[in-house]
Amino acid sequence: MLRKSLCGGLFFSLGLTGPVSPFQGITESFGAAIHALSTTQLTDGVINRSKRMMLDTLGVGLLGTRTAVFNKALKYSQSFQSEERSSVWGKSEISLPPNYAAFVNGIAVHSMDFDDTWHPATHPSGAVLPALLALAEALPSQRSGLELLLAFNIGIEVQGRLMRFSREAYNIPERFHPPSVVGVMGSAAASAKLLGLSPAQCIHALAIAASSAGAPLANAATQTKPLHIGNAARRGLEAAQLAQMGLEGNPAILDMDCGFGVYYKDYSPSAMADPGAGGFKWILEDQDIAFKRIPAHLGMHWVVDAALAAREKFENTAGNFDLSQIRQVTLRVPPSKYIDCPLPATEHQARHSFQFNACSALLDDKVTVASFSEAQISRPALRELLSKVRVETPRDNQPSFDKMYCEVEIETDQGQNYAARCDTFYGHWRKPLSHKDLVEKFTVNASSVLCSEGVEGVIDVIGNIERERECSSLGSYLRMTSAQHKQLYSARIM
Amino acid sequence: MDKPALPCFFPVNINSHCNYIRQVQLKPNISIHLLTAILLYQRERKEKNNLRKTEAMISTLQKTIRPMSTVRGLHKSAVEVFNYPAHEDTVTASFGRFISEVKPQHLSPVVLHRSKRMVLDSVGVGLIGSTTDVFELALQHCQNMYAPDDISSVYGRKGTRLSPTLAAFVNGVATHSMDFDDTWHPATHPSGAVLPAVLALSDMMPANSKPSGLDFLLAFNVGIEIQGRLMRFSNEAHNIPKRFHPPTVVGTMGSAAACAHLLSLDHSRSSHALAIAASLSGAPMANAATQSKPLHIGNASRLGLEAALLASRGLEASPLVLDAVPGVAGFNAFYEDYVPQPLGSPDDNGHMFLLEEQDMGFKRFPAHLGMHWVADAAASVHKLLVGGDHGTVSPAEVQEILLRVPQSKYINRPFPESEHQARHSFQFNACSALLDGEVTVQSFTPAAMMRPDLLALLGRVHVEHPHDNPANFNRMYAEVQVTLVGGDILRGRCDTFYGHWRNPLTNESLRKKFRNNAGAVLPSERVERLIEVLEELDRLGDCTHLLSQLQ
Repeated sequence: MLRKSLCGGLFFSLGLTGPVSPFQGITESFGAAIHALSTTQLTDGVINRSKRMMLDTLGVGLLGTRTAVFNKALKYSQSFQSEERSSVWGKSEISLPPNYAAFVNGIAVHSMDFDDTWHPATHPSGAVLPALLALAEALPSQRSGLELLLAFNIGIEVQGRLMRFSREAYNIPERFHPPSVVGVMGSAAASAKLLGLSPAQCIHALAIAASSAGAPLANAATQTKPLHIGNAARRGLEAAQLAQMGLEGNPAILDMDCGFGVYYKDYSPSAMADPGAGGFKWILEDQDIAFKRIPAHLGMHWVVDAALAAREKFENTAGNFDLSQIRQVTLRVPPSKYIDCPLPATEHQARHSFQFNACSALLDDKVTVASFSEAQISRPALRELLSKVRVETPRDNQPSFDKMYCEVEIETDQGQNYAARCDTFYGHWRKPLSHKDLVEKFTVNASSVLCSEGVEGVIDVIGNIERERECSSLGSYLRMTSAQHKQLYSARIM
Repeated sequence: MDKPALPCFFPVNINSHCNYIRQVQLKPNISIHLLTAILLYQRERKEKNNLRKTEAMISTLQKTIRPMSTVRGLHKSAVEVFNYPAHEDTVTASFGRFISEVKPQHLSPVVLHRSKRMVLDSVGVGLIGSTTDVFELALQHCQNMYAPDDISSVYGRKGTRLSPTLAAFVNGVATHSMDFDDTWHPATHPSGAVLPAVLALSDMMPANSKPSGLDFLLAFNVGIEIQGRLMRFSNEAHNIPKRFHPPTVVGTMGSAAACAHLLSLDHSRSSHALAIAASLSGAPMANAATQSKPLHIGNASRLGLEAALLASRGLEASPLVLDAVPGVAGFNAFYEDYVPQPLGSPDDNGHMFLLEEQDMGFKRFPAHLGMHWVADAAASVHKLLVGGDHGTVSPAEVQEILLRVPQSKYINRPFPESEHQARHSFQFNACSALLDGEVTVQSFTPAAMMRPDLLALLGRVHVEHPHDNPANFNRMYAEVQVTLVGGDILRGRCDTFYGHWRNPLTNESLRKKFRNNAGAVLPSERVERLIEVLEELDRLGDCTHLLSQLQ
């Protein structure tokens, strides 16, 4: 494949890419694949994994509707009106224009940093699922569960392909927050698929979306980070809608350094295999996803597991866990500036602090949703323990979710040492959550907002999504709040 | 890094809270702008009589402003105990402070004059831009996706209004739809990202508390100044860009700054508005010369307004977004050689608006700025060929055309296929000027683009990039050398085209451009009225007169 890296003309390089189109550029191959992929190409493995992602995303999102950042974004979005209205998850009485429903539901998914993480590092589902569910509700004709699943997988696949265009992207990022870069492209691809766009329109959807990509990492650990996912969902959907109307961008956007390449320093794109030619394989097939057990940056899971193990050693030897005996806590973690935060002051900073998560685990013998409340963050005991933390970044500990480890070493005043190490936490793609634990996580998350009928309804619909005739059933369960349930129930009795 | 190492994160909540409480000397009318804007924004717009109700609420709020300030004042001494000097010293905080504190008296006569010219030109370019396809697509999108929300007016469409952010979007698209809008140095199109947002926000404010013409101009200037300051954080940014389209990087920030100022946000919220906007910035150059490029300006305008509105609700972002923190990219994600500088307080005698020392470039025809050099050089060859007559050049006379222009891939297009590509083609603009003696709005119509004579000339063009001709609007030149069939060689050269900041358009020329542009959409009385209103802008009691003339 000849790579087009000039910013000049829009003429495609000649390349030998198969019998279907001899003039295929990389962008064109993506447009063609998005258009051509069909439900028959979904494998059992991919269906199973993507359903787990959907369930987890919905649970995390439902819980996220209780956050401050979600409510600010919701108030903002309620000022827009539309004939077409899409559901806001966990709100029985509010609906929004599809773009803004995608926006606020995307924010809900990432509001606590509780959503899934892939390798190379991005949060793939939160940018795609809210856009698709919002769009599905607004379309004049119903889409089946299988069509939804296909579009979802296309959104995930495009993100995975794009992440592989750069070596740099394999590491924990330093410049752009990946969901703001690849997420908006995934949302555009998925939305384009659900809208049934032509190959050319799919290409332009990607090109338009590329102009909406890219948010700097400095806004991690602030309320604006969840907005990155919300905007990825919203602006990807918008790009697909604009492409459907005939708006055009650069049809070689993925081929050029001054196209999608601007987001990377070592961009090297490659074409997507032609789904019709038989050489197509889903990335999700080979690379499973990580699900979080605690609402924090993925890196925190290693340090928490290591801290819990070190704590246990301490307790087993000393008979009890006495904080006052601790002289120093050493964390050996990969170098990554934005998750090295010695004294977090907000929940968003706490979710991005090795120090905070290690200390919470030591203090409480667990880290949970409640660990990130203001009261917990400002506890004097926690603050004192934080002051004893020292961070080391050993050379062999690389800032990559596929290679990193964490060590926690507790030193006591008496000179004893208790150290533990975590190479792969439970929930990582090498050690996936059991289905039971995933459903349990969903149930706990969703029950914070939905009545039990809603919770079970979502589990049931996702479980059978490939056989659901209409995917809109999902939307109705997602609105079944506890209060709404009572109303429905009394209405039915009458 | 010669700055002291900054701690990774600051206790944002407490600090912004303190800043907010310190902000006790809010001018009453300005705080009312904030409250009314937010109130208006939140109101249910389905019922029309709600407007009256809202205004009643606002007048109640006006009465409660003073007691609220007093209550906050009581806490003032208590909060002064907290002190976070590190935060106050950041570049990001200095920008927030500037946006919040700058006042109309800081605008010098030169800045006033120049910014009024920009507003005039930007409105005219936007009005003619409202006739383009890409504008139509953007408008349809907004109208299809959202039910009527009659708040902010759409350029040149009588009776058409949209919600404020969407109006900012479509008017921004209109402004850049033909690449006819102003260009600054270092290179960006500053007005199109700011003016539509400031207009849309002013439309949103209730009739009894519209900003004055001067407040309006000040907000506009804040948006321009912030863009200029940010452009100076990188040497790379002085050249014609290669990676990110500058208006998508600094434009969003300028719009956020202007809107934050008009909303009277305090220091802290102003810097959060910038930080939120940074997450909405940046689009790749590859979409230049496509319909997506005008969207860049529309989105800069829209998303900057959105960032300011979200900040006014208390949404927070990185307090270090403009500072260069190693390992965690903020605004420096968009540059390779980023060196930020704090912005001085507007009260310091040292502060001067950049517009004071760096004037604006205005385009005479709707194409990328670089085209103006090559068109002027080719026009002088045209003159040599046809003499004083208004004749045309026959391609049969021409053997070869050599262009000596800077190297910039995205404006080097031998055979443009769309109007958007033609606006970004040295070759097309040189040949059009050679053939017709000038480049005009009509040069980019499909009929003009498809002329056999023009296509014949395009086939004879060669391009050279001399080493002494950098891709920089402050230093570039263009040479056009035409070899005739008989062997004669004619040369034309342009170092500074008419309209460039070194050779500015006269007021008369600028008005002529405005009359042509605005006249494409508005009746001539209204065009003349607009010229008068914009001339008087800094003396207008409120900006309603301007807002009511745009459709």
